Amino acid sequence: MQQDLRALWFPVASSGDLPLRHVYQGQLLGLEFAVWRADDGAVNVWENRCLHRGVRLSIGLNLGSELKCQYHGWRYANGDASCLYIPAHPANAPARTIRNRVYRSVERYGLIWSAIEPLAEPPVIPELETAEPLALRPMPVAAPASRVVEALRSYAARLGAEAVEPAAEVPPAGAFALRASWRRDGEVEAAAFFVQPTAARACVIRGLLLGDVAEAERVATLKAHNAALTALREEAEAADAREPDAAAAVEEAKIPLSPRVTTVAGGERAASGEAIRVRVARKWRVAADVVALRLEPISGALPPPAPGAHVDLHLPNGLVRQYSLTNGPAERDAYVVAVKREPQSRGGSAAVHDAVREGDLLAVSPPHDNFRLARGGGRHVLLAGGIGVTPLLAMAKALAATGRSFELHLFARSEEHAPFADDLGGLGASVQMHTGLDPTATGDCISAILADRADDAYVYVCGPAPMIEAAVARAEQAGWPDSAVHFEHFGNAKAVDDSTAFEVALARSAITVAIPAGRTITDVLREHGVSVPTSCEQGACGTCITTVLEGKPDHQDVFLSKAERASDACMTPCISRSLTPRLVLDL
Amino acid sequence: MLILHDYELSSEAYAARLMLGFLGLAHESRPVDVYPGAANEAPAFRRLSPLGRVPVLEDGGLALWDWQAILIHLAATYDESRRWLPQDPARAGAIAQWMAVGRELEDSSGLARRHLAMFVDADLPLAQERAHRLMRQMDEHLWFQEQAGQDWLVDGPHPTLADLAPFPAVMLSEEGGVDRRDYPAIRRWSERFRRTPGFVTMSGVFPAAPLG
Amino acid sequence: MTEPASLSAAERDAWQVVSPLDEIAAGREVATVLFGEPVTVAREGGSAVARRADGAAMPTIERYGYVWTSVGAPEGDLFPLPEFAEPDRRNLHGATIGVRVSAPRAIENFLDMGHFPFVHTGILGEEPHTEVKDYDVEVSAERDEVLATGCLFYQPMAAASAKAGIEVEYVYRVPHPFCSVLYKSSPGAPGRRDVIALFLQPVGEEQVRAHMLLSLIDDVSTDAHLRNFQQTIFAQDKPILENQVPKRLPLDPRAETPIRADKSAIAYRRWLSAKGVGYGVIPARG
Repeated sequence: MQQDLRALWFPVASSGDLPLRHVYQGQLLGLEFAVWRADDGAVNVWENRCLHRGVRLSIGLNLGSELKCQYHGWRYANGDASCLYIPAHPANAPARTIRNRVYRSVERYGLIWSAIEPLAEPPVIPELETAEPLALRPMPVAAPASRVVEALRSYAARLGAEAVEPAAEVPPAGAFALRASWRRDGEVEAAAFFVQPTAARACVIRGLLLGDVAEAERVATLKAHNAALTALREEAEAADAREPDAAAAVEEAKIPLSPRVTTVAGGERAASGEAIRVRVARKWRVAADVVALRLEPISGALPPPAPGAHVDLHLPNGLVRQYSLTNGPAERDAYVVAVKREPQSRGGSAAVHDAVREGDLLAVSPPHDNFRLARGGGRHVLLAGGIGVTPLLAMAKALAATGRSFELHLFARSEEHAPFADDLGGLGASVQMHTGLDPTATGDCISAILADRADDAYVYVCGPAPMIEAAVARAEQAGWPDSAVHFEHFGNAKAVDDSTAFEVALARSAITVAIPAGRTITDVLREHGVSVPTSCEQGACGTCITTVLEGKPDHQDVFLSKAERASDACMTPCISRSLTPRLVLDL
Repeated sequence: MLILHDYELSSEAYAARLMLGFLGLAHESRPVDVYPGAANEAPAFRRLSPLGRVPVLEDGGLALWDWQAILIHLAATYDESRRWLPQDPARAGAIAQWMAVGRELEDSSGLARRHLAMFVDADLPLAQERAHRLMRQMDEHLWFQEQAGQDWLVDGPHPTLADLAPFPAVMLSEEGGVDRRDYPAIRRWSERFRRTPGFVTMSGVFPAAPLG
Repeated sequence: MTEPASLSAAERDAWQVVSPLDEIAAGREVATVLFGEPVTVAREGGSAVARRADGAAMPTIERYGYVWTSVGAPEGDLFPLPEFAEPDRRNLHGATIGVRVSAPRAIENFLDMGHFPFVHTGILGEEPHTEVKDYDVEVSAERDEVLATGCLFYQPMAAASAKAGIEVEYVYRVPHPFCSVLYKSSPGAPGRRDVIALFLQPVGEEQVRAHMLLSLIDDVSTDAHLRNFQQTIFAQDKPILENQVPKRLPLDPRAETPIRADKSAIAYRRWLSAKGVGYGVIPARG
C-alpha cells in the first residue's frame, strides 16, 4: 500500500523564490499553493484559490501584508489568511468565516517546507543545522518522484566523480530525500536532494550542497550540478515517456471543494483566538453626545493598527459594531474608540453610552485597515464630519509623526460637537474647525479647500453620507482624480435591518428564545445549544435554510427566490428576522 | 506624429506599444479589424504592409511592418539614453539572440494561443513543446543571471530589447496552454519587467504589485 | 445518431450556437465541436446546415447572426431577442474566442459587476468606486429565464463611443443556460439601451467558443473600433476565467463564498440546478 504522502513534509519553494512583493506558484501532490513572503519576513503557504470564485491567488498581488485577488480585489491577511476587505461591500467588514486554507510551513535550510496534513513536526536534519548549505537550481522533472529518486542514486557517477558511500535516505525527511557523496580532487563533497512530488507524474528536485564553496567557484559549481541534473531530467523524462510506470505515480490529493460549513458555538468561536479580550480602562466624554473608550488588553500586546483602521467591538448586549481607532503611531498599549449616541439606535451606541462601564471586559477584533493613507504624497487633505473625525485623527497623528504635510478640516455643528478637542489642539495649525455651516456652505467651503490641487496630493473624507457625497462631487469638479480621493462611510451602510426584536419557538427542541435587536437567530440559538449550520452568514449561500411552521419571516437574504419568499415556508435564520412577534421553526 | 496600426489582441503589436510607452512617445493608434474581419489582408492595408502583418508603424515617410524592426527603429531613433539597444559589441550579439528567441516564441507559444483563441491552424502539441524548450532555456539563463546579481536577460542595469522582445509571448503563454509554473525565474523576471517605468498592460497581462 | 450519455434534456434538446453566419459566407465551411463531437456547418442552397461527422444533418436555424443546432429534438424556437430586429440598430459579430473554461463559469463572469474596477480598470470600473449596490433578481416563470434589473455601476469608459465616466444601468438576462444578454444605457442615445449578447458554444465541459453579438445604437464608430473595444474587454476576462479552479462551476453554493453582490449568480446557479443542467458544472450533492 502506498504511503500517505499528505502526512509528509516536503520543500515546496526555495527561499530565493520569494523576493519582495512576489507570489510564487507552488504545487504538491496535485494541489496548488500560493506562496508569498510578507514585508515582515513571514512566509505564507495558502491554497491557491480565492474563496470567492476559485481564481488562483498566484496571479494576485502581494501588497506586503495582504494578498489581493486579481478578480474582485478581496484582500487576505498575512498569517491567518482571513479576508480583510471585500470591495463590493466597502462599508461592511467581511464575515469571520471567510478565511482561506493555510498550510503549515517553515523556512529551513534555504527551503520553504510544507505539508498537506502533517502528522509530525517538520524535519530537523542535523548535518544541515551546522553547515550553511548552497541551494542548487531546482529542477522540475516530468516523471514520477520515485523514478527520479532512483535516478539520483547514481548522482556521483553522473557528476563524473567517484562515490564515497552509496546514496542513502536522509532519515527524518523520508523516502523522497537522498544524501549523495563523492570525491573530487581528493576532497569529499556531499549533497542532500529532496524530491518534491508536484503531481502524479511530475516532481521538482531540490538539492542542497553541503560544505563550503568558495565564492569564486560558486557559479561554476552551481552550473556543474545544474548540467548533471538537466541530464538526469532528460533521461528520466525520456524513460517515463518510453515505458510509463503506472505504479510509480503518486496519489494526488483532492482539491478541497467540500462545503465550508460552520457549526461551532458562539462561545467556542470567541475562544478560538479571533477576538481579543480587552478591559475598558477609561470612558470619558469627548463632545456633546460622544464618549470615548480606552481599551487595554487583558494580556499580551495589541496588534498595531494602521492609521485609519477600525475594529469590531463586541458589546455586552451581543451586538457587534465597527468603530475607527483614533490611535497615533506611538499609542500601542490601548485602542481608543469614540461612539456617538444615535437617537434612533436601539442597539450599539445606546449600549456603549448606557451599559458599558470602566472596568468592563469586552472583546475586539484585530484591526481592519480598509481606509488607508496613500504612501508618499506631498499634501494630505483630511475632511471630517463630526464623529467621522476618528479615523482621520489617527491619520493626522501619523502624518504629524513623520513630518508630512497635512491639513485636517473638521466640520461640526458647534465647538461643543467637535470630538477630541484636546488631541486636535496638539496638532496645532494643521487643524481647522468649521462650525455651524449648512450643507451648501459646507460644500462651498470644501470647494475652497480643494481649489488648489497638486499631482501628489490626496483627499480623505469621513463623515455622514451626504457630506461624503458632497466632498466627492466637489473634488471631481475641482479636477481631482478619483484615485486621489479616499473616503469611508461611518455608520453601518448595511442593507440589512436588524433592529427588530421577536421570539422564536423551536418545534422539535421545544424551547422558545427571545431574539433581541442586533442579534441573529442563529447566534442566539447557538447559545442555547441549538446549532444551525451556517457558512456565509449573510444570506447568500442557503446553508442555513430552515422550515418555518408559523409566523411571517422578514426575509433579508439574497438566496431565496421570490416564490419561496412569498410562501413563507422557509427562511435563512443567519440574517432574516420576523415580521410577526413569534416565529415557529422546524428545529 | 507616429501612427501605429494596431490590434489589441496581437502580442507583436503589444511589443510596439510597450516600446512607445517606455520611451514616452505620443502616437496615434489606428485599430485594425484583424479578427474576425481580416482587414489586414485587404488590398488597402497590404499597400502599407505587403505581408498583411500587424503592427505597422508610420514615422514620417517610413512605414515599418515587422514588429522587431519597429522596436529597433524606435530604440535607435528616440532612445537617447541607448538603454534599450546598447551599442557596445559585447552585448549587441546577445541582444540579437534573445530577440530571435522572442520571434521563435511568437511562432510557438504565440501560435498555440492564436490556435486556441482564434482557431488559426497549428500543430498544437508541437507548438507547445517548442515553447517549453525555449522557456526552459530562458528560465535557466535567468536563474544564473540572478546568481550573478543580474536582473535581465543581457547584463546591465536596465532591461533591453532582449527582454522586451520575448516578454509579450511569455506573458500570454498560458493562453496557449503553456504553463509557467515550472519557470519561477521567468515569473520573477516578468514581475521586474512590469515594474519598469513607462510599462503598459494589455488584455491578459496584469500589472505587478508596487514595491512600496 | 447517438448523444453523449452525460447530456440532460436541458442540454440535449436545446438549441446551441455553433458558428457566426459571417463565417459560412462565400461558400466557406466551419468545422467545429459541440459537446465533444465534431460538427460541420455550411450553407447549402441558401440555408445553413449543420452535420455530424457521419454526414447526418442536424436541426439547424439561423438566429441573431449565428447558426444554432441541436444534438437532440428541440421543441420550439430559440429565446426571443426583439432588439435585434429594430431598424436603427447596428448588429455586429464582435468575435468568436476560444476559452478554456466551462460555459457556466463564463456566464457567471458576464453577469458580474464587482470585478469591473479590478479586471477592466479604467474602462468599466475604477477604484475606489467598487461598491455593488443592491439590485433586483428574479427567475421569470413564464419566460424561464434569470433576470437582473436595476444594476448600477460607475464606469469611466462604458463603451467604445464614451467620452467620460458615467453611472451606467445594466439589465441582465440569462434566457439559456449558456447564453446571456446585457442591456446598458447607450452613451450616444439617451433613453436607449445597447445590447451585448454572449452566446457560448460548449465545445467540451471545460472549453467553450464564446460568440459575441453587439447590437448598438452607434452609427459613428468603425467596425474595427467596436471590435477592438469589445475584444479588449473580453480578453481581460479571459485569463481570469482560465485561472479559475475548478474550471466547472460548483452548484453547491457553499463550495465557494458568495456575497450579497452575487445575487444574480446565486439565482443562476439555483436555476441551473433546478433545470438539471449537468454539463460544465459540479452538481450539488444531496
